[in-house]
Amino acid sequence: MTLHDLVDLSIGSLWRIKLRAFLTIAGVVIAIATFVAMLSFAAGNQKWVARAYSELGLLTRINVTPKEKSAAAATHSPAGSQRETSSGAAPAGTTKAAVLDEGAVRALARIPGVQLAYPFVEFDVTASVADTQVTTKARALSLEAMRLKPYSTFMNGAVFSSEDAGEAVVTSEFLKQIGLDRGEALIGQNLILSTRVASLDSAMAGVMGTPVVELRNLLRTVRLDSLRYAAYRQGILRRELGNRAGRFLDGLLNHQMTVADTLRIIAVGKKMDEYQVPISPVIVPEETARRFASAGIGLSSDPSDLLTAIQSGSLFSPRGGGDAGTYPRVTLEVEPRASHEAVIDSVEALGFKAFSFASEFKNIQRFFIYYYAGLSVIGLIALATAALGIANTMIMSITERRREIGILKSLGADEREIQLTFLVESGTIGAVGAVIGIGLGWVGTRIVALVMEAVMKREEMPVFDPFSLPVWLILVALLFGVAVSVAAGAYPARRAARVDPVEALRGE
Amino acid sequence: MAWLRTAELCRYYTRGSQEIRAVDRVDLEIERGEFIVVVGASGSGKSTLLNLAAGLDRPTAGHIEVGGERLDRLSRRELSRYRARKVGMVFQSFNLLPHHTALKNVEMALYFNGTPRRERRAQAHEMLERLGLGDRVDHRPGDLSGGEQQRVAIARALVKRPEMICADEPTGNLDEENSRSIVDLLVELNREDLTVLAVTHDTDMARRAASRILRMHYGRVTSDTSTPESSGGRP
Repeated sequence: MTLHDLVDLSIGSLWRIKLRAFLTIAGVVIAIATFVAMLSFAAGNQKWVARAYSELGLLTRINVTPKEKSAAAATHSPAGSQRETSSGAAPAGTTKAAVLDEGAVRALARIPGVQLAYPFVEFDVTASVADTQVTTKARALSLEAMRLKPYSTFMNGAVFSSEDAGEAVVTSEFLKQIGLDRGEALIGQNLILSTRVASLDSAMAGVMGTPVVELRNLLRTVRLDSLRYAAYRQGILRRELGNRAGRFLDGLLNHQMTVADTLRIIAVGKKMDEYQVPISPVIVPEETARRFASAGIGLSSDPSDLLTAIQSGSLFSPRGGGDAGTYPRVTLEVEPRASHEAVIDSVEALGFKAFSFASEFKNIQRFFIYYYAGLSVIGLIALATAALGIANTMIMSITERRREIGILKSLGADEREIQLTFLVESGTIGAVGAVIGIGLGWVGTRIVALVMEAVMKREEMPVFDPFSLPVWLILVALLFGVAVSVAAGAYPARRAARVDPVEALRGE
Repeated sequence: MAWLRTAELCRYYTRGSQEIRAVDRVDLEIERGEFIVVVGASGSGKSTLLNLAAGLDRPTAGHIEVGGERLDRLSRRELSRYRARKVGMVFQSFNLLPHHTALKNVEMALYFNGTPRRERRAQAHEMLERLGLGDRVDHRPGDLSGGEQQRVAIARALVKRPEMICADEPTGNLDEENSRSIVDLLVELNREDLTVLAVTHDTDMARRAASRILRMHYGRVTSDTSTPESSGGRP
């Protein structure tokens, strides 16, 4: 008896019990559709995460940040001895806390396996394009960094013509800020960027004030007859110094000078809302950004920057062409085959914290295994219910077909062939149910995806497709459908095989 | 040595606490090509003896040997192979599969004896033609007369070229004319060296076709009569 004969007999038998077979298959269809929809949701999310990591270039990226001050103090130095060095990085075992400065960037770039190290430099700007002006943020990026993901993915391949080009790239975030949906029209237009920078001029002006008025005010408050007392003189001096320091800071922070530059927009980034990753609205070449900083003393209006500069003694250091202060974060682009663990060890040896996205990705993948398992259980419960239906149908079928079984045995069919006939029958129910179920599951997920898309758009949420039907899922669903059905038919098939032909034929 | 031989052949059933001796210590020898008719009252064990010879049933004790093969020692699978290749069965109620055509019913006998798929249809068609059913191949059993159905059943039994036909009341559901026709057909087949073992109440059949008549009573063969004057069996 060939497989063809078995299938032929099985389909013939099922055709004779059309309605019952249809209802049994419907049970399998619903179970498989549930199974497919569940796992399709997990697969869609996994695919989305994998695509996000790939398109954002996260799998070859390690973020380096300074250690928390308390942690740094605990591990490196006693209180009061923390001082930044010109090299930034503090080798392990030394007593100095490591800060992320140019020296540190250079040290990080030298770690074996690191392709590129680039700092996170972002500053507040006022951007004007055409008649629109917005307060936003600009990020400085080197040409090399621009060629990496995600910028290479989302910037239509456009990069700056040079490190100090008067060019800018605006991203979808910027378009959102100025209320544009598509930004192609902006390419070639001028973008005026202005920023307020702290300068020594403004700070000193605060200290000096108007000399005549200052002197008169001072004379009014000084009791000349008391000048002979040293304590009084020191008190005046202390008070005056306090006043001057206050004015210095006021001049530095609140009376900053405005620096403006006109840049040409050379590219508009594609939308990447889907990944919900913050990306700076404006990107400018590194050296161009440095021109803004070099006009002042390179400090933002953030008082913590000032505090850091005072603590490190770099407040009056020359800025612009050389070191540009400290960075909150440095990104390492790691060679694809390099060991992230080794790079992380080297980073930590320099006294920094490292965060590998690849390691995080591994954890996420692990999570997805549990996710799949959990959703599979729900799908399998539905499938188990369908299996009971199949078993019931097959047992009824055997009761009705005892005579047929007897006849087949009298013709020479052995137990294995009878068993196979019934297994193929239940397998056919499973296969047909699985194929239709996969289709139904897919249609179901498409409908839900459309509804979700509409809701996401209405709620102004990033739109993405949470479902995916990969080939492996189709094959697994098919396999499960057939396997569970065959398993459900196993007991009835064994019963059929054991039918005594004499009894079966005598019944007639 | 006899082609079919039984020695102390027993087939007992237990129904509740009662033991039924359907076949009880039967010793029998049948030569190849004989036309044996087994007669007896209902419950005398005729059909059980037939089922044992056809390999449909297994003896409780004793032995049965057909063509040098000890059926009582065969595994279930080997017994199936024996049925598939060496024996053709014909039943009183025809036992055709009602949802299949006459051709398919006959063809199905070739599913289990290793006949290549492409040859089955032609052989089944040829056999139906030979039995005068060439124009009925696509009819389902329900569309055929009783005589035609039994011919289809005989075609099904013959198509695998068996060495023996086991017929259980082959004329039991037929009118006189059809009965005569079926008996003639069996006689004709027997002349072609086919051993026929038939169970019947039909004395006319026994008289006209049998080379030997076995009479059974309560599971035992009570008489074994050769009928050399019959138109059937040769020995």
